[in-house]
Amino acid sequence: MAGLATTFGSGAMTNSINEIEAAEVILVSGSNTTEAHPQVARRIYAAKDRGAKLIVIDPRRTAIARLADLHLALKPGSDIPLINGLMKVILDENLADDLFIELRTENFFALRDYLYRLDLAEVYRQTGVAPEELRRAALLYGRAGKAVICYCLGVTQHVCGTANVEVLANLAMLTGNVEKEDAGVDPLRGQNNVQGACDMGALPGMLPGYQPVTDPEARQRFAAAWGVEPPAWPGRTLLAMTHGREPDSGDGPVSKSDSPAAKPGGAGGADQPGQPDPASGIRALLIMGENPLLSDPDLNGVAENFRRLDFLAVSDIFLTETAAQADVVFPAACFAEKDGCFTNTERRVQLISRAVAPPGQAKSDLEIIAALSQQLGYPMDYQSAAEVMEEIALLTPIYGGIYHDRLAGGWGLQWPCWDRQHPGTPYLHKYYFTRGRGRFAVAEHQPPAESTDADYPLLLNTGRVYHHYHTGSMTRHSAILNRECRHPLLQINPADARARQIAGGEAVRLISRRGEVEFKAELSQQVPPGMVYGNFHFAEAPINQLTTTASDRRARCPEYKICAVRLEKAGGDEGRRP
Amino acid sequence: MSDQYLLSRDHLAPLLRRLAKEYRLVAPVRNDHGDTMFQEIANPVATVPDLESQPQNSLKDFLFPQQEHLYDYRLDDAGGYHFQPPATTTPPTLFFGVRPCDLNAVLYLDVVFLPGRRELSYRRRRENSLLIGLNCNQPFADCFCAAVNAGPFLEEGSDLQLTDLGRDFLVEVGRAGGAEIIRRWPHFFRSAPAEERNRRFQLYLEARGGFSRQVHADQAIKRLAADTLPSGVWEELATRCQDCNGCAYLCPTCTCFTIVDQPQDQHHGRRLRLWDACTATGFTAMAGGHNPVQPGKDKLRQRFRHKLELDVKKHGRPSCMGCGRCVGACFGGADILHFINLAGR
Repeated sequence: MAGLATTFGSGAMTNSINEIEAAEVILVSGSNTTEAHPQVARRIYAAKDRGAKLIVIDPRRTAIARLADLHLALKPGSDIPLINGLMKVILDENLADDLFIELRTENFFALRDYLYRLDLAEVYRQTGVAPEELRRAALLYGRAGKAVICYCLGVTQHVCGTANVEVLANLAMLTGNVEKEDAGVDPLRGQNNVQGACDMGALPGMLPGYQPVTDPEARQRFAAAWGVEPPAWPGRTLLAMTHGREPDSGDGPVSKSDSPAAKPGGAGGADQPGQPDPASGIRALLIMGENPLLSDPDLNGVAENFRRLDFLAVSDIFLTETAAQADVVFPAACFAEKDGCFTNTERRVQLISRAVAPPGQAKSDLEIIAALSQQLGYPMDYQSAAEVMEEIALLTPIYGGIYHDRLAGGWGLQWPCWDRQHPGTPYLHKYYFTRGRGRFAVAEHQPPAESTDADYPLLLNTGRVYHHYHTGSMTRHSAILNRECRHPLLQINPADARARQIAGGEAVRLISRRGEVEFKAELSQQVPPGMVYGNFHFAEAPINQLTTTASDRRARCPEYKICAVRLEKAGGDEGRRP
Repeated sequence: MSDQYLLSRDHLAPLLRRLAKEYRLVAPVRNDHGDTMFQEIANPVATVPDLESQPQNSLKDFLFPQQEHLYDYRLDDAGGYHFQPPATTTPPTLFFGVRPCDLNAVLYLDVVFLPGRRELSYRRRRENSLLIGLNCNQPFADCFCAAVNAGPFLEEGSDLQLTDLGRDFLVEVGRAGGAEIIRRWPHFFRSAPAEERNRRFQLYLEARGGFSRQVHADQAIKRLAADTLPSGVWEELATRCQDCNGCAYLCPTCTCFTIVDQPQDQHHGRRLRLWDACTATGFTAMAGGHNPVQPGKDKLRQRFRHKLELDVKKHGRPSCMGCGRCVGACFGGADILHFINLAGR
């Protein structure tokens, strides 16, 4: 998201999902679209049926990669050189959109000069993608009239995640594939309302609608509405909260001036009166609908930090691993039991209505927050979710025309929607980028935080499977979904398995510098030799005990996709079960 | 169908109101979100059935519900199970506005669940139901019932069968339940003159010409029977299927189920029957992990062979009714229409 914000000025899908169907070329990077975003995948299938070409960039041979006209199986963590290589070929072949670059972008010469110097042989060494394949992909994408890029966590969950996104944005701008319908750059969001959460300021440095907390005018508007001035400095990032400290970046120790907690724009940083010391520990946490004791990297670090807390409160629909550790649990209503809105990946705000009453003492999130606020001495007297929406429209320009009565009886509205007459915005950046001109950001290869060595010779990639959702707090309660996928499987290339005399279905132990976890082996050609792949849905095999907290310096997204591991048969001589 | 009457369009709502006093009334209703669903109408004055759109669900939801509470169980200390069937009531139900495809689907469910089996809850519901059908003057976008001989007009199987003639509905009396309605409330009906019967035939011919899709189901059925499908059909479908099972759940004739226990506490629980689908990989997986169906290769083979080959052999007709619901719902283009097209390639 930060990557699109720096280049385009707006961190969201530039297209609507439907537009993907009409694209001529679709480039999918780091997305297991078929399993993780079937509603997007169906548009890709439809586009293929209409003759569109599909390029997939992924180290794994996923279902969507098998469907692709061209599958670029890059080495994990080499996205930047790969995309730079594509851009160099496009430039060399004179396929760049000069008019678009001239009229709508800035900083092109820096990129051009960098690409002229780029050595394609070096790109081959870094990525493992053969030059002729790279060239085919570049020509396909570069010659398309309308090309869409879809990317997902395979791009962002790296120490260079923000830069990975920036180079994809460069590629789209270089070929003029942004301002128009059926062409753009589309981050696929993993949850029904994660876009909405970001829109509403669930980001360390943002008030709702991406208004920075460092902007005194924005703060003033919210202060007038709330009767309380919001803090002028950014809050902590997720990892800083769950691990009790700022995590390491892949590029070595973070200097204090680089960390976002100490970089609140021009407003003076730690000198602000009342700003807590970023190094001080957090003493109490309220967690809503999140299960960090299964989903965060380096779980042992999270558990240790949670034990140090004075107080932990968790609000969730089931008693998750995290909720089980809480001092207080608020039973929450699920999606069918409450009123409100979800904002999906295509910026579409959709109304949900309560269909059934919540069981037992469960309450909607709104009721929980309002009751808590009341107890803390700040009464919130919202009569309904619709009234909250009115306040959102008042304070958040991009939601300015979105009210419950306009959402009812339709498919919702896509922001930006400036006023009640505005029909919503199917695709972004028409006529001008949100930030004015699109900015080319030059990025160079940044190796992953952990590389393999003699002790840890394999790379672990983590992700999702079709039948479960995230930490399984919902899906593992379903008998049929559990039947479809009941064991924590680890995909291993048959060659790697043979070398360790591991048979399919056998119990294996995976060990990283931070922990060890047991899985059932699944021999699969989906993963290349040297790489194993597992998912984080299973509490009995918490794969995030293995992953690293090394994270992107700007977005603070951890490198879930790469860590170095060793693979052993479980239950051997040194078998020690926890 | 022999006896034919006219029911004025103006008298439809009063008739439904009358019938709703005796029966639980289920009909297509357009809800606030613009979706038309078969649902119970508590107040037929306030809620008007939507006869313009195809309901997203079928009568399967009512006769063979997604979740059926089979037993309450108690687990004794020795690990033995003691079962107690739950108390149930089955209100007499009148299904109104049922399209020929869905009505034929109910007749198929009868073939599956009624003969010789101790499927009591289905039998109870079925014996307590009346079906008032409505012929389709204009097929919906994804429909292909004519290609599988399940529509657009119904010749037999309903209690009363309606045809929209404009100002009136032509009412044909089918089974005994329909004759009973005519006998008890004769003042709603007047006998139909011959020219109105002829208009029915005219409308039927027009409806047959109104399909937007050309579907050669016969050819797919023949090729399946002769085992002469073009090569690669199953593989292509398997690549496209995204495992959602939506086709099977929406299908008015899919009857696969699974049985699960839902513990309430250590000693008590409920045994449930849930819809299942042969498209799910786990449906055929065995305890040791072996699966006779290779998901990557032929996971849709069972579904289409059952509908278009085995049921043709067994019952003389395919168990696809051409309602087109799976066509609209399928994520990846692995629906039965796609199969029929591939099979005819």
